[in-house]
Amino acid sequence: MGQIILGVGDYGASNQSGEEVKTFALGSCVSVVFLDPKTRTIGMVHVALPESSINKAKSAEKPGYFADTGIPALLAQMAKFGCNPKGKGMVVKLCGGANVMDTNDTFQIGKRNALSIKKILWKYGMGAVAEDLGGNFSRTVSVSVDTGEIILSSPGRPNWKL
Amino acid sequence: MTEKITPEEIQKIISSVPLLSASANQLLQATTDPDHDLMQIVNVVKTDATLTARVLKVVNSAAFGLINEITSLDRAISYLGERLVVGIAIGDCAAQLFDKELKGYEGEHGALWRHDLRTAIASREVVTQSNSTINPDLAFTAGLLHDIGKALISDYLQGTASDVLQKIENNEFSDYLAAEEELIGFDHPRAGYELALVWKLPEPIAEVIRFHHTPAEASEEFRELVYAVHLGDNIAMMGGCGTGADSMQYMLDTNYTQYVDLHPNALANIMLVVNEDYEKLERSFSEAGE
Repeated sequence: MGQIILGVGDYGASNQSGEEVKTFALGSCVSVVFLDPKTRTIGMVHVALPESSINKAKSAEKPGYFADTGIPALLAQMAKFGCNPKGKGMVVKLCGGANVMDTNDTFQIGKRNALSIKKILWKYGMGAVAEDLGGNFSRTVSVSVDTGEIILSSPGRPNWKL
Repeated sequence: MTEKITPEEIQKIISSVPLLSASANQLLQATTDPDHDLMQIVNVVKTDATLTARVLKVVNSAAFGLINEITSLDRAISYLGERLVVGIAIGDCAAQLFDKELKGYEGEHGALWRHDLRTAIASREVVTQSNSTINPDLAFTAGLLHDIGKALISDYLQGTASDVLQKIENNEFSDYLAAEEELIGFDHPRAGYELALVWKLPEPIAEVIRFHHTPAEASEEFRELVYAVHLGDNIAMMGGCGTGADSMQYMLDTNYTQYVDLHPNALANIMLVVNEDYEKLERSFSEAGE
């Protein structure tokens, strides 16, 4: 099976049957998954931080790194596959955003990532139909073009679906 | 049922681990001496032909993208910086430990090295971006060695990961550290500390290994450094780079604010730098190792 592997701050899309899009070990990062039933296209962005304002140069070089630049970048990418550029009709799922135990505000990057992503989605009139967010564990996430199903895995835990 | 590790048993495990080379030991001693200079580092590396070759290979690896090859050791070391040279020396000596598959934590081959390298970079950045007076090279080296105890006890934890996670979720264990202690009678910081004593590691590094999850218990003299690595460790795990099932399953000591002045924006910046530096370093180490 073909795979598109996304690193931190990467985004990608596919409509190839038999292919999957995958990202490894999300800690506080969040994976935003878009599924477009009309064109049978899937897309994913691996967001590391909530706001691009902390490093404009980095966001220009790798927009997927930040929630506010990553989502528009993924939508633009999916538009190349014939998807609606404003995300209309797309199904959204969110995974990741874990936090360390007994954390304080400064270290709640996972929570802030998820919040920032939801705010951006709201601007597009989009909302997640399913989410697997928070907790104190890392997640590896893969989405299949054929089924649109998300499989999550984490060391020491049985795989689960979203 | 897991087997408990006795103090005698841990010494037996340690005796099967290769000792650090003389040059690695001298480099570690030099790093912890506040008055040392780069020439001391150069002089140590010069006495070790294998290390010299490795340092030159790393500096000339594609990851650094140098146009002209560096052939002089002095230039190579001043280009790479002390921490990388120490990192190369430790990485080579303790490769057997760093590359070990951490079966007890369900961690893959090399997961320990990757986590430790990320922790090293993050600890250095914590020190740098919080305007601390701690030597960033020392924070890097201590970060590189902080979890070495996991390689010693991992085999004894085989088959326990899923049960431990369940028990942490049910509050039967407060965190993974408590689980290690309860299950095998030794947690990884204590096991690592025993190794630090045998290896005669400098005191600040031994303190980091012993107290990186419980920094408040470190001696006052080294507490700031221990807190810096405690944060570096957590930042590495938040970046998705842990050592397996135990990732993010340890308490953050939020009293770090008394020792480390870390602004929320600084944390985001540190995470950015860690990702970038890590990719470059990992590439240079692996290219040079081929």
